[in-house]
Amino acid sequence: METAYGFREVESAATKQGLVDGVFHKVASRYDLMNDLMSGGLHRAWKNAMVAWLNPSPKPGWRSLDVAGGTGDIAFRIVDASRGEAHVTVLDINGSMLGVGRERAEKRGLSANVDFVEANAEELPFPDNHFDAYTVAFGIRNVPRIDVALSEAYRVLKPGGRFLCLEFSEVDVAGLDKIYEAWSFNAIPRIGQMVTGDGEPYSYLVESIRKFPNQPRFAEMVKRAGFERVSWRDYSGGIAACHSGWKL
Amino acid sequence: MSRISEQSRIDPRLLELLVCPLTKGRLEWDGVRSELVSRSARLAYPVRDGIPVLLPSEARTLEDEG
Repeated sequence: METAYGFREVESAATKQGLVDGVFHKVASRYDLMNDLMSGGLHRAWKNAMVAWLNPSPKPGWRSLDVAGGTGDIAFRIVDASRGEAHVTVLDINGSMLGVGRERAEKRGLSANVDFVEANAEELPFPDNHFDAYTVAFGIRNVPRIDVALSEAYRVLKPGGRFLCLEFSEVDVAGLDKIYEAWSFNAIPRIGQMVTGDGEPYSYLVESIRKFPNQPRFAEMVKRAGFERVSWRDYSGGIAACHSGWKL
Repeated sequence: MSRISEQSRIDPRLLELLVCPLTKGRLEWDGVRSELVSRSARLAYPVRDGIPVLLPSEARTLEDEG
């Protein structure tokens, strides 16, 4: 598969990973604030919709893995939706993001429900058939070899396990696509510059969104990894989409 | 901040769950060095601020220790 770092082509997956790491180390502490400003708060509604679709079981012992979820945003929602029963392992390749997440877990009194692991989505440090669910929100786009990450997702899920992936996607509403493009290419890097003092990481984010496969193409990739009953839901006219699959 | 208090923040159930990301083989906890040791990959993964770092690029290569 072709690897792309935004619009700057790079030779190897390793190089891309290094560039992505740099972006997130720079923005970790203000990441969620930036997401609010960039999406006008919509990312919260999309994340709520993903967790509602997941519908985590309130049965004790239900286990979920949240990949690229450093700041704990998805994990905390899953624990709340399970009425405090779910156990979520948060995995991120970036230690700065995990540090932010762990602090938040402690403040919310959720340390017993959530644990944190620094690792690579392409090389998961978990045994086969372990988790009831695998989630990834706005993270798969930054993985150099997406097909490898999807195979690993399939491996660590139990039979009957659920895969859910929330990601920026292709706008499919006439007029909205132009507005969205103008917003994302002009406003987002400027907001990033103002809030974090560095617009460059946000230029990367916007460009990487454009490179990511659209809804049907990504659904094909999810199927190729072995998942069945693959479907997706568009959010806000396709600015974001959530893909779902089952390991059966 | 003492190293002991940091180590005690790691959930023992998490340590039991984790496997080597390369070989998917079991890991042994070395409490003295605060490392997760993969004999099969001959790597020792660090634990930093209570967070296990299961990245081969961050791991220490094991010498022949017999």
